[in-house]
Amino acid sequence: MTASAAKALCKRVLAEASFGDVRVHVRAASRGDLRFGATRPTTGGDVDTLEITVTASKDGRHATVTGNAAGAAELAALVQRAEALAAIAPVDPGSVGPLGKVTPARVLARDPKVAAMGPADRAALVGEALDTAIAKGVELSGHLQHGLVVDAFADRAGLLVAHEATDLVMTCTARTSDGTGSSKVGVRSHGRASLAPKALVERAAEVAIGSRAPRAIEPGNYTVVLLPDAVAELLDFLVGAMGARAASEGRSFFSAPDGATKLGTKVFDERVRLWSDPADRQNPASPLGDDGRPQAKVTWVEGGVVKALHTSRGFAAERGVPPIPEPTSLHMAGGDKDVDGLIAGVSRGILVTRLWYNRMLEPRQIVATGLTRDGTFFIEGGKVSHSIKNLRYNDGPVTMLTKLLALGRAERSGLFAGRVTVVPPLVVEGFRFDSVADSV
Amino acid sequence: MSTTRRGFLTTTGLVSAGLLLPATRTSALPSIVRQPAPTSAPSSASGSGAISFSPLPGKAALAFAAIERARKGGATHAEARLVALTRERVQIRDRRIEDLSASEQIGLSVRVLVDGAWGFAATPDLTDKAVAIATDRALAGAKANVALRKRIGAPPVELARCVAASGAWVSPHEIDLFSISAADKAALLLAATERALAEKGVAHAEAGVTSVREDKLLVTTDGTRVHQIHFRVAPEFTVTAIDRRRGRFASRDHEAAPMSAGWEYVRDLDLPGAARGLARDVRQKLYAPAIEPGNMHVILAPSNLYLTIHESIGHPTELDRAMGLEANFAGTSFLALTDRGKLQFASDAVTVLADRTQPGGLATTGWDDEGVASGRWPIVEAGTFVGWQTTREQAAWIGEDQSRGCSYGYGYVGLPFQRMPNVSLQPGKDDLSTEDLINATERGVYITGRGSWSIDQQRRNFQFGGQMFWKIERGRLTGPLRDVAYQANTLEFWRSCDMLGGPGTYRLGGSFGDGKGEPQQMNAVSHGCVPARFRANVLRTGGAT
Repeated sequence: MTASAAKALCKRVLAEASFGDVRVHVRAASRGDLRFGATRPTTGGDVDTLEITVTASKDGRHATVTGNAAGAAELAALVQRAEALAAIAPVDPGSVGPLGKVTPARVLARDPKVAAMGPADRAALVGEALDTAIAKGVELSGHLQHGLVVDAFADRAGLLVAHEATDLVMTCTARTSDGTGSSKVGVRSHGRASLAPKALVERAAEVAIGSRAPRAIEPGNYTVVLLPDAVAELLDFLVGAMGARAASEGRSFFSAPDGATKLGTKVFDERVRLWSDPADRQNPASPLGDDGRPQAKVTWVEGGVVKALHTSRGFAAERGVPPIPEPTSLHMAGGDKDVDGLIAGVSRGILVTRLWYNRMLEPRQIVATGLTRDGTFFIEGGKVSHSIKNLRYNDGPVTMLTKLLALGRAERSGLFAGRVTVVPPLVVEGFRFDSVADSV
Repeated sequence: MSTTRRGFLTTTGLVSAGLLLPATRTSALPSIVRQPAPTSAPSSASGSGAISFSPLPGKAALAFAAIERARKGGATHAEARLVALTRERVQIRDRRIEDLSASEQIGLSVRVLVDGAWGFAATPDLTDKAVAIATDRALAGAKANVALRKRIGAPPVELARCVAASGAWVSPHEIDLFSISAADKAALLLAATERALAEKGVAHAEAGVTSVREDKLLVTTDGTRVHQIHFRVAPEFTVTAIDRRRGRFASRDHEAAPMSAGWEYVRDLDLPGAARGLARDVRQKLYAPAIEPGNMHVILAPSNLYLTIHESIGHPTELDRAMGLEANFAGTSFLALTDRGKLQFASDAVTVLADRTQPGGLATTGWDDEGVASGRWPIVEAGTFVGWQTTREQAAWIGEDQSRGCSYGYGYVGLPFQRMPNVSLQPGKDDLSTEDLINATERGVYITGRGSWSIDQQRRNFQFGGQMFWKIERGRLTGPLRDVAYQANTLEFWRSCDMLGGPGTYRLGGSFGDGKGEPQQMNAVSHGCVPARFRANVLRTGGAT
């Protein structure tokens, strides 16, 4: 579906409305994928989806109904169901009016080459990856997925916006035949040009082979070099914690005494700068929040000082704070060193390529737990000395951004599957590990 | 029934008695708000109404047309699934509606096998033309994969035999979840949060209920035609207390499990009646002391242990993981094919069954998504690892001639693959109660409810939290604790299991959110279990405060 077709569908929905306040979100997606495992193609296919979400609101009562049938009778029934459900809903004292006309940034994120991909393209790309793995003598598993997604939002107060984007993701896990080495690499982009399976699998094979025969080290506090895929995982907890409501209610790291927040307070190393920008040329993101609000360029942290918190429209109206939506992208300013340059500055520490099964433990300090995975290495005298067994951490983004020793060059995380995340590798002091995992 | 209410009242009795637990067996444990599974067996009798109102039989011709077109187009095997997935969510935060929403996703998917390679396509457009296009896309995908399969030299996919099935099955329930209006559901939840907010120390309360109806019609070129409707419900109730002066807060979740059931399950929980107990717990939790870490006994209530079973027994016994097919995302397994029948997984006391027939189980069904009749089989028998979870494609990999019936795809978009059945720890031989376990323990922690959880990709090193933690000293619960997690390695942990509750302590826990596969799909699954005693490293997780 094109952006204009999605807008037209929104208009057909609104034409069925009898309430003065009816809002609609259309999401149409066409996705194709191919999985591979144990160095052979396994499953995949082509899947079309459509979601038509209608919110009806009247006198403080509101309800939301989603369907996926776009026929005239089905659309009318969908709007009727939303209005009927809203009519019996309890009155919501915190309900907000429609968004109305907005003008989001124009973001070009549709690559016709990705939009045109099909099964033969997938087989060719996966074939190239498998051939490379066979040549390198590693066992390969992974996933290739391409998609075209259109989002459109409209309401009866003048809102009518749409965004069309392609996405292309390939992730590959290489394991060595002795079962002691593993690595994972990935590329994700809106464009076809970023994907080169042979180079990707060669990198995976090199790290996997280098990670063989890991030795256990004693858990404890270590200096760590966190690669961008690991940094992205920890920053995701931070972005989640930057909600204005939880901060005001005293249940967040960003809470200050007496219902105040840490807005305007320096809480991180002064080199920390975080921002979101949907219109970034290299790494575009959706210019629309999940309720249709435009995503502006927002500075979240600058000079280590908290500059913005995100909030729902309802809470913003209640407290008179700016209604900034949770971002669809995250950028962190880096330095100019490459990873080897960062490692060179570490006399004794651990190189972490990625983190896995991350779960929040303590939201007031944003302490999480999880494990290193797919390549963990010991650093001695400014060089990687040997592969080590995976470790479980109990720590988080606050340590990462306060005990910061050095920053490398920012790059797009190819493995983080959430918002577009472009972050540097970081050197952090005193990161806490509590136990060893024998798993590879 | 008021079993929950009685359990709840005895709990508050315990708390107000200063936690001096008598050495004799009583029901006075902090085991609130768990509900035994419904006891009626799966049957189609209770669901004939649901079947007759389903929109799917009227569309069955589309599914038959798809498999016929696939067969003519070169498929040696084809399946078509018509799926209507209906979800309703009512969520209250304090005194206002946070979410009142309903969704229905209906569509058709077709899976084909051409020359030993899979193809798949799905469409929400239920017209002859769209279904024909989807079938052709599935065939085109399979043919592209055949060429690649042969070039790489990979073996063809072969399916284990399957008796053609025909029939209908509806998960047992008394009251259709969707026959209760969203307004009535909201009123119940608002009453619950209102009661909680009236309690001393409660700053916030949230209550919600998610209702799911999964309506699925499967036809295959084996001659199978089965129509099934699953009803699943997940109630939630959380209270929060905040100490702004100390910069601390605590939350307490109701421990009610998601269940395959009707509205009677939520009604009998009496959520408003649970508010006082939750409030009392959250105040205790807020001011409880931190734990002295160390290696000690942990006694895990079923409301906590179910998730540990899920992660440390359910996942490593998935055959696709052991074969390396999930290495890129969910991970592999510490178990090897050669371990079956040999590896001492747990102490002799431990027997674990996979069971897609158990009442109330979220993964209980009549047939799986390949038309294989559901069953029950041992995973761990008297401590020895003995069984895998399989699909038709996988049976031959372990020398079996039939699938164990573990195929599932989520919604019409979900490609069916190996998913977890209910995996349940069987009660101990002695008729022990939770009190018996506590009374026998010199030093340890009693843990109830679900907290944070994390486990490595081969399922060895795990670390789990909980909802409530109680210090055990010389056979008594001596007070609540906060910021506790237990960490262990799977085999050491299960081999250390030395006490199990008896049949009367068996409860179901479960989750709608078992994630696996790429693109990731959700699976709903339950785990029955009894309270059990283990040794683990107990950690303090609260950081600096």
